[in-house]
Formats: sequence, structure tokens, C-alpha cells
Amino acid sequence: MITKYKTFKGGYRFKNFEGQPEDKLIELDIPQKVIIPLKQGFGTEVPPIVKPNDKVKAGQIIARDDNSVSTPIHSSVNGTVEEIKRINYFNQEINCVIIKSDKTTDIQLLDGYTLGKKKVPVEKLEELLYLSGVTSLDKEGIPTRFKSSIIPPQEVESIIVRGIGSEPYNLSLSVLLSGKKIFNFIYGLRVLNAVMPNAKIYLALNRYNKKLIEELYKLTAEYRFVEICPLEPKYPQEYDEVLVPTILGKKFPYGYSAANLGVVVLSIQTVLHVYDAVAEGKPLIERIVALCGSGFKENIHLKVRIGSPVEFIVKDRLLDNTRLVLNSILTGVTLNNFSLPIDRTCSQLIAIKENNKSEFLAFLRPGLKKDSYTRTFLGSVFPNVKKIFDTNIHGEKRPCIFCNYCEEVCPVNIIPHLLHKYVVNNIIGIHLIKYGIFNCIECGLCDYVCPSKIQIMESIKQGREKLISSGWDRSLYIEPYFNLKGLEEYRGGIKKL
Amino acid sequence: MKLIKLVINKLYQISSKGKLSKFKPVIDAIDGFFFGTDKTTTSAPHVLDNIDIKRYMSTVIIALIPATIASIYFYGFRVILIILVSYIFGGIVEVMFAVVRKKEIHEGFLVTGLIFPLLLPPTVPLWVVAVGIIFGVFFGKEVFGGTGRNIFNPALVGRLFITVCFPAIMTTQWQQPFLKGFGGFLKYTSDAITSATPLISWKTQNVITPYLDLLIGKTAGSIGETFRLGIILGGLFLIWTKVANWRIPFSYILSVFIFSAVGHTFLPQKIAPPLFQLLSGGVLFGAFFMATDPVTTPFTKTGKWIAGIMLGFLTVLIRSFSGYVEGVMFSIVLMNAFSPLIDSLVLSVKYKPIPQR
Repeated sequence: MITKYKTFKGGYRFKNFEGQPEDKLIELDIPQKVIIPLKQGFGTEVPPIVKPNDKVKAGQIIARDDNSVSTPIHSSVNGTVEEIKRINYFNQEINCVIIKSDKTTDIQLLDGYTLGKKKVPVEKLEELLYLSGVTSLDKEGIPTRFKSSIIPPQEVESIIVRGIGSEPYNLSLSVLLSGKKIFNFIYGLRVLNAVMPNAKIYLALNRYNKKLIEELYKLTAEYRFVEICPLEPKYPQEYDEVLVPTILGKKFPYGYSAANLGVVVLSIQTVLHVYDAVAEGKPLIERIVALCGSGFKENIHLKVRIGSPVEFIVKDRLLDNTRLVLNSILTGVTLNNFSLPIDRTCSQLIAIKENNKSEFLAFLRPGLKKDSYTRTFLGSVFPNVKKIFDTNIHGEKRPCIFCNYCEEVCPVNIIPHLLHKYVVNNIIGIHLIKYGIFNCIECGLCDYVCPSKIQIMESIKQGREKLISSGWDRSLYIEPYFNLKGLEEYRGGIKKL
Repeated sequence: MKLIKLVINKLYQISSKGKLSKFKPVIDAIDGFFFGTDKTTTSAPHVLDNIDIKRYMSTVIIALIPATIASIYFYGFRVILIILVSYIFGGIVEVMFAVVRKKEIHEGFLVTGLIFPLLLPPTVPLWVVAVGIIFGVFFGKEVFGGTGRNIFNPALVGRLFITVCFPAIMTTQWQQPFLKGFGGFLKYTSDAITSATPLISWKTQNVITPYLDLLIGKTAGSIGETFRLGIILGGLFLIWTKVANWRIPFSYILSVFIFSAVGHTFLPQKIAPPLFQLLSGGVLFGAFFMATDPVTTPFTKTGKWIAGIMLGFLTVLIRSFSGYVEGVMFSIVLMNAFSPLIDSLVLSVKYKPIPQR
């Protein structure tokens, strides 16, 4: 079933930027050495069950803990464990297993997988998902009876599969779903339906991608549990906090997760991994990663082994004087240390030019290739010209002039500049909660559109920290108003990513 | 380009030591004007919009170009002199404050310096222009802490001050516009003085000037407000570029229309008909260029509607029942004073109080 297209108030559509990844997929070699973080995706860090100098196979489980909310982690190559040490992986100290590979390509299939068996019991399906590592993907994981998420599978009311592509740079869906893979995707949806029988599956798609919508509509017409939702590809539509209210019309308990509402949000690649695990018995040791942005020589998709160091992936492909960012150009972290590996959650590597050169009379240029929320540049009259991204801040810092752009684009209906002003003047109190400081989902859009180049998101984060450190508790303002699920697990020390 | 860079670097060298170091904001401003910024983002978001305050303010100036060129055509190139005086004396105040406060020079002044002369009668003596802009920038903006903190629109504060101080100069002498050939492009100024603007004719004799004349500016009036076609185009351009929010101009014009339509049916002698109200005086100029000043108007969306409706009501009220013929300026300044109150009212309705611990 297709519903009428939906959207939300606020947001901004990033259109036509240079460096969109082409529909080309290259399988990368096996790296000499992989570094496997023992916390990947959703769940707590798991203890290793291998020792240095152990021989491991690609797909062998090297760390698991069946008692905590977690999912096993595999070796992604055949080889020997070199050492296990703590590494600072994106501001978190995490145990990592370093494995020297022997460069052979064979993969050990999952325990309990039997080839070509038609009817698989639900319990078995869940076990396959759990053992393959797929259950740790996306924000809150896939619920199974193995404590892979904070709620049991029966409590899931809706599953949202997101394929909107609302970021400036997105993984290409035509690569993911090319050829026969679209049938794999449908298979994955059926597996999810078997595991979570009470849930309806919503496919959130870009409303302008008519071909895909039609194709999926034909293929899913016989399944009554699938509903196709065309959405306007405005950033940040793909955030759980925006998707759930748009599609389900529910209020979102900001600061909690969709799983607390009984909603599981998954990406399209995750559903394909579900297929791999159940139908082919493959553990999750490979990912498709898009190389986006004008800082790459070639914008393509790569199939890489998880744990490959970044330098192995980007070597010879990166131009000079670029900044490499993980996953999202608006919220992602800068990759300075190229020896760090990528993990299960990585889907894009974005490289943009560092631009610390001043431009002569920049504010008077017509700006054919300049993107702006306002229509003050020629680029907004010629949407077909590809826009350029660079790291220059394009203007001097100035005081706020109440232009209200930040309020207009804010997807969660708060007034960012107001909160910013309270925080910089150090007026901290209950009025900040009243004005919705805890609603902020840190999408970074207010910073993007600000003509005065104020770091509004930073102020909001600071204000939140100050509030919390002076004893305010956001749960008091959320929990009485929602019927939230899985709260005990949530309080049990699992930190949100 | 390299030459300018060289000069700026030299200036930096000279000003780096001694008493001249106070003038660093000035050189920073020149540098910023020509070369923009070389800073990069340090954390997420890694990319930023290309819009900056310079571009933002330049867009307002671009939108004012039709009205400005038309005013030179109508009233001779003395208008250019008036604009120059406004920029120079306003600029001196701005720079003085930047130097004393050791803060950077802000671009908002570029707009104030152009809007202010467009509000004046064409016969205005140059010294009055200087007095007005100095007062406006000083007491309208700088004493509150500069751009972004001012309560009143600085151009209007200046205009209000000289209207109250020099009523004879500001309200009795109007110049007939040039209308033939090259018009005022080749002439300094005109001696054809009249004492009647369309609003005065209405107030004294209940005469309605033809609407087409009003639209293309065949009437006497303030320098920039008579070429209403250009003002409408410029205003629509501002709204299209999203630099000005549509809510205030729309609600302002709508409420002037409604209030005068209702008023005219009941008091046809006192209150002018709606279209005449819209096309005479400074309603259009005020609605598109002054009531849209984001700093001094309410920032909430509902607040903008309230402000627009209030503006329309006040304008019709002052025009019809006060000693002044024109009420746009007073109503905008009054609304400026109320906008913090409007905002806090709207906020307290929009965001429900939350239970205390």
C-alpha cells in the first residue's frame, strides 16, 4: 500500500552537490591487518573470547556476552590475533582485537545455518540474526530473544525502513538494490515480519524516486504488513526523532529512543544484511561504504571488510588538503587518525576540500555554485548547476540579528537563537526546559543556515550540560507523559551512541 | 586585487603599534569587505551556508536600488549628495563606537545609511541630514549595544528626531518631481516647490490623487517613497530571497486595507479609502523595508502577525485622527517598543509552563 506523501515542518533540502557517489561498486581487497572494536553499533562492549596468537577465521565469533544487551562480534579476516588493546575510538576507550590476515577470502558460515532449508522456525531465525551480528545495527538494534535490543520482539509495533537519502551525501539505493538484490531486500522484510509478527513495516522512501517506489510497490503488493511511505527528502528526515512523528503521527520522547515507543528504525543496508544472515548464513563482516564529496578522486561505492583501517580504504583515492568525515557532513566526526578502522555502522566516508583561503569580494559574487538556504545566490535560480561544499565558514562572526532562519529550519519546533542567547548569558533554569532545550536532536541545521555564523548547537549542548550538572533531570518531563517500553534496560547503563 | 592586499597588509603593519592600534577594527572591516574570511569550521557541522551578514545586507540594498534610482530621476542628483552625507556621518559614528568599544564594525549600518535619506523630504538641508543620521545611529543603535541589540529602528529614530526638532523643514516644503526626458539625472535640484503631498491634499481638501500617479511617483513626497512600483518590486524581491519575512508586510498591508475600508464606510470624510491609504505616504516603503527589520520587530511568527495588524491599525488611526498627516513612522517606532512584550506574550502562550520538581 502506498500512502500519500508526508513531510514535517522545518528542515532543508540539500540539492545537487558535487561529489555524489556514482552507481559503481568495487570490491576491495582484504587488508593486511584489521582492527576490530569490541563495541560496534548498539549494545555494550563485549569481552573477547580469543587470545593473542590464536588462529581465527573470517566470520568466527571473537567476542560475545550473552548476559548483557549486546551482539557478538566477528573476525572479518582469516589470520592470527596479534594483540588485544584499548584504543581511543571516537572519544571512547574501547578494547580492540588486532588481527593479522593471511589474505585468503573464504568465509566461515554461521553456526546452525543449513543450506537451502525452506521453513526455518522463528527461534532459529532470531539465532541466526543474533549470531551474524546484524542485530546490533542502527540506533537501537533489532530486537530478538537474545537481548540484542532494549525491548523483546513481541513488543515491536512498527518497523520503519529508511531509504530517503536526506543527507547532502547518501549511499546510492540503486547500488544497494541493483538487480536481484531487490528480491533479497523483500526476503529480508519477510524475515523481519516473522521475527516481529505484531509489527507493520513502513518503507520510508524519497518521493522523487518514483521508479523505486513503483517497483517496491509491485513486489510488496501481496504483503499486507508492508506500507510504502513516500517522503520529502528534507534533512533531517532520516532521524528517528523526525521519522516516527512524520510516519506514525506519534509524539516523540526526545532524548529516548524509538524503541521505547515500540518502533524499530532500520536502514536498507541492514535489511540486506538480514537476508545475508538468514538466507546465506553470512556473518556481518562486510559493508558497502560510499566515498562522497569532491575531496575524492573518484566517487564510488566500496565493499570493505569491517575493521579495515581508514588509510587502507582511502589511500590513493583522496586528494590533498581535504577533510575526511565519517557518515554525515553535518554531524559526523572528523577522521584525523587514519589508522582507526571502520566499524559496522559506517556507511559513508565524506571528503571535502579544506578552504582557508579568502575570496576576493566574496559577498558580491553571483554565486552560481554556492548553496544557501536563502535565495541570495544565483545557485538558487539554477538548481541544475552542481553546488560546492568546502570547510570555509563563508563570512565573519556577527551578533544574532533575529533573522529566524534557525527557527524556520528547526525540525523539532524550538527557537534555537533564543536558547543560544540564554545560554551565552548564563541564564540557566527551568525556562530552558520550557523552551525545549531537551528536544534538540543535534542535527546541526541551525548552525548551517546562520548568516551570523553562530555556533548555536554548541550553545544548546552546553546549556544542557549545565542544566544536568545543576540537578535538572529530563526524565521527569518525559516519562510521566509517555507509555515507554524497555526503560529498565535503558536505565541499566546503556549509553546512546 | 594584489594591490589592495598589499595596502591592507601595510595598514596592519602601521597600526600594529602605538596609538594607531585603536583603528584595527577599521582595517579589519576593510579587509573583511575585500577578502572575506579565511576561517574554517572546527567541528560539526563541517560545512556552512554561503550567506553572511554582508550578503544579507547587500541584498536589502539591491532591493532598494529601483527606488533610489527613481528618486534621483525625480529630484535631481542632489539626492546622491544627501545619501553621501548620510553614509559619511553615520559611518563616522559607527567607526567611533567600534574604536572605543574595540569591537568589529557591523554591516547593518550599510542599510541604515541608505534607508534614512530615502525617508527625508527632497528639500532637506544637508546639515539636517547629518544631524538626523548621527542622532539615529547614536541613540537608535549604539547606546543599546550596537547591531542586534537595538530596540528601535535607527533610521526611524533619526527621522523622528529631526521631524520633532525641525517641523517646518520636515513637513511643509515638498519638491515637485521631474517627469520629462532625463529628469533629474542632469539637474542638481528643482525650484518647483509645493506644499501639498497627496496625504496633505486629502487631509485639507479630501482630494484623492489618481492611483496610477501614486504608483509611478508623479506626486510629491519623501525622496524614496514615491516610486511605489519599484518599492513593491524590491519588497517582493526581498521576500523571495527570504531576507525579509513575508508575515509583517503582508499583515501590515492587509490590516491597513481592512481598517481603512471599515473606517471609510463609517467616516468617509475622516478616513481615506483603502487603496489610497496603501498607495500614499510611506506605507509600502515602511511595510517592505522598515517593518521587516528583523532586529526591532518580534521574532516569533505569531508575534509578526500581531505586529503587522497593530501597525495597520495605528497607521490608519494616526493618519485620520491626529495632527500629523502621516503615521507610518510613529506606528513603526511604537511597534518597535512593543515587540519584546509581544514576543514574551507569544512565547508564554506557545510554550506551556512545565510542572516544577
